Amino acid sequence: MAPEPALRLRGITRRYGPVVACDAVDLTVSRGEIHGLLGENGAGKSTLMRILLGLETRDAGTVERDGRPVTVTGPREAAALGIGMVHQHFSLVDPLTVWENVILGDRGPVRRAAAVASVREVSARYGLAIDPTARVSALSAGERQRVELLKCLRRDPAVLVMDEPTSVLTGAESAELFAVLRRMVAAEDRAVVLISHKLPEIMAATDRVTVLRAGRVVFRSPTAATTPAELAREMVGREVSLGAAVGVLSSASAPASSLPAPSSAAPSPPVSSPVACSLAAALAPASHSIAGDGPALRVSELTAPTLDGLRLEVRPGEIVGLYGAEGNGQRMLGDILSGLTVPDAGTVEVAGAVVDLRRSGALHDAGLGMVPEDRHHAGVVLDMSVADNLVMTALSEVSTRVVVNRRRLRARARRLADEYGITAASLDAPLRTLSGGNQQRVVLARELSARPRVLVAAQPSRGLDIGAVEDMYTRLRRCAEDGIAVLIISTELAEVLALTSRIAVIAGGRIAGETATADATAEHLGLLIGGLRS
Amino acid sequence: MTRLEGGLRGSAGVAYALQNRAVAGVSALAVVAALALSGMLIAVTGGSPGAALRALVQGSLGDATAVSMTLLYAAPLLLVAVGACVSARAGAFNIGQEGQVLIGALAGAAAGLRLAVPGPLLVVVVLLAAGLAAGAWASLSSLMHELRGVDIAVSTLLMTFLAQQIVAYAVTTPWLLQESRLGAAAALPQSNKVPAGGLLGSFGDYPGLQVNAGLLVGLTAAVLMAVALRHTRWGFRLTMTGLNPAAARHAGVPVGRMGGMALAVSGALAGVAGAVLLTSPLSTNRLQPGGSLGLGWDGLLVALIARNRPLLTIPVAALFAMLRSGGGFLAATGVPSYLVDVVKALLTLAFVAPALLRRAA
Repeated sequence: MAPEPALRLRGITRRYGPVVACDAVDLTVSRGEIHGLLGENGAGKSTLMRILLGLETRDAGTVERDGRPVTVTGPREAAALGIGMVHQHFSLVDPLTVWENVILGDRGPVRRAAAVASVREVSARYGLAIDPTARVSALSAGERQRVELLKCLRRDPAVLVMDEPTSVLTGAESAELFAVLRRMVAAEDRAVVLISHKLPEIMAATDRVTVLRAGRVVFRSPTAATTPAELAREMVGREVSLGAAVGVLSSASAPASSLPAPSSAAPSPPVSSPVACSLAAALAPASHSIAGDGPALRVSELTAPTLDGLRLEVRPGEIVGLYGAEGNGQRMLGDILSGLTVPDAGTVEVAGAVVDLRRSGALHDAGLGMVPEDRHHAGVVLDMSVADNLVMTALSEVSTRVVVNRRRLRARARRLADEYGITAASLDAPLRTLSGGNQQRVVLARELSARPRVLVAAQPSRGLDIGAVEDMYTRLRRCAEDGIAVLIISTELAEVLALTSRIAVIAGGRIAGETATADATAEHLGLLIGGLRS
Repeated sequence: MTRLEGGLRGSAGVAYALQNRAVAGVSALAVVAALALSGMLIAVTGGSPGAALRALVQGSLGDATAVSMTLLYAAPLLLVAVGACVSARAGAFNIGQEGQVLIGALAGAAAGLRLAVPGPLLVVVVLLAAGLAAGAWASLSSLMHELRGVDIAVSTLLMTFLAQQIVAYAVTTPWLLQESRLGAAAALPQSNKVPAGGLLGSFGDYPGLQVNAGLLVGLTAAVLMAVALRHTRWGFRLTMTGLNPAAARHAGVPVGRMGGMALAVSGALAGVAGAVLLTSPLSTNRLQPGGSLGLGWDGLLVALIARNRPLLTIPVAALFAMLRSGGGFLAATGVPSYLVDVVKALLTLAFVAPALLRRAA
């Protein structure tokens, strides 16, 4: 008599307009097992789990708990059904104490002594050492993770979902967490779903694994019967589908006219397979590096929270992709290269000269243009006019020492708007009235108008529609042709493949490995993203 | 969602313009409502709204003396408000003008009474000393913000109460600024009179129209600041800092220094307002603990209503000055004069609330 699985999802489907986030996903999790759910960003892992928790509606499919179909309309109902989730981003209230956070969301009167005792009891049972009266603001990332886990375990869930639990933990903290999970599963017959894109922890901590790619289950296996290489391949996609993806993308995003003939490109990179060969032909535009030139951008031993001695070089005329799963230090690197954060250690050199990162605008003055990931945060001033936004970094060029010459400012803005095809009702309209694509063009136009030696673009196509993406890619390629060193920070493999000549993979705040784009194989990239060095 | 963005944003420009007009319409309605409510309050407390309005106008614009009084009040209000515009535009919310006015008056009195500067030059020294001292006083808040992350709005507000204590101490301590009395009569908690050379002159005199030089200082400050914010690199960068500090930093603006400077300028202007109060016919030309007359708070409201635009502070300051000078006349009609404060509050709400609506939308 096979017992009913603790959790069974059948045919779960969720569409967002034309995008299918989950496509008829089946997932079965038994009591007493840790089930790994592996996939890249955007593969549908989080959507699937949000549907399970009732945070998201589904278009089709059923959820069964212990063989009974259930309807989950929210986290509270999910908790009543014995389903608990520890979210990727901590949902703790910093100024409150541990016990206050743990009982947050409970109903009824607050009994301090009882709450503290219950936190002590749960933490002792699972070996999650924590002081219930400590303030959360004083805790380390690992301790906060413990509080999240305690919060969830206190409600005694039969099925526990952990969403990327180790993304902010050190190696030792991760190992400790998995020991606790293993103990819990073995001794109390609970079921755990471990969402991750890290291969080593999937291999080490799970009993069975399911791989999602583009919303579909593409692979499932007992963990012991598979290898990291196989999982990596499945996660990123086979070579064949990789080539197909690029084909689709380059025909959609790069009009044939903008692609220079392969023969005019710099020395053809080595090719390793027929598929890679056609890739190389499609991707050749990016390599214009001039032999003998030093790197235009050199990042050395950059250390900061989430960055661990990052090293990276980009030569003039080259487009390099910094690729990796989200949350591996890309945002911090972007903040440092925007001049918003000063690193703890390490240097940034532009054209061979070390930049003093403590001085506002030093990177800009040194010749580094930046298209930031979150343009509303650091890229533009939404309530200033389009013209002001176009000129704000070049104020000295349209003014005397003291006075801004409005006429010259407008003339310069008008020229840039024409050159970059920025559509605005008026240059005096507030920037917030522009579409996302036009706002992004404003940023690019402004940064390029300073004639930088280096252009860094973080997630350059995020939030843009197809037409705007196409335009953006064309302009980035043109930058490289003009001899600018271009660094693309992206979590989209298709984007990196379409634009770059070299891919550096970032994992855990450092470069896990580099490869020429033409030589890139899904397995290799997958291993690097998963934090395994090849 | 990304697909929709293009379509939605296309009409955003039109929507924005419509929204601005809607806000203006709502503002007008709100002002009417505030005035109607004020009238009702007056009627309920046993007065006649018509008589009260007449008294208000009579007391503020009725004759040359009334107009002179209104103009006297307008000067410090303008200076405080222009300063409040500068700091708010830079995103450093200074709400401690009342204290800065007092510190300015204190420094002005000290300079006027202690420095042996000849004749008309003394008034310039008094104004400068007031500006410098209050600017430095406001900068203490920047320092606290820089060193320990203390919120600027909170520290500037609390420093007001400290300033009140310091002034009270100075005018009750003989070896500081307390007035010197001959004979056995007890000295009052106030300073000696600032000598004539330290006073702001007036064009014309009572009972005719009198225009004090303080008003020129205020108007000049408003116009200069409007030009500086609109047409200088400093103004551009200050505005950028206030609207998006991250983008400003990226564009090379030393954001911390910019905020600190705006706060200092704002404090300095409030300090000059304090000196204008001290040296114009509005006061007895002595430093007194209550000498700021609450104009620091009123000036803040003026800036709020003027939406931090220096030129707009001119008419708004005039309106608030009218409420001040006319308020004194209200008592004669049997209406409690504190109703003027209620009217001020209602008017401020009427002007400010519609803008909040837009933010919520």
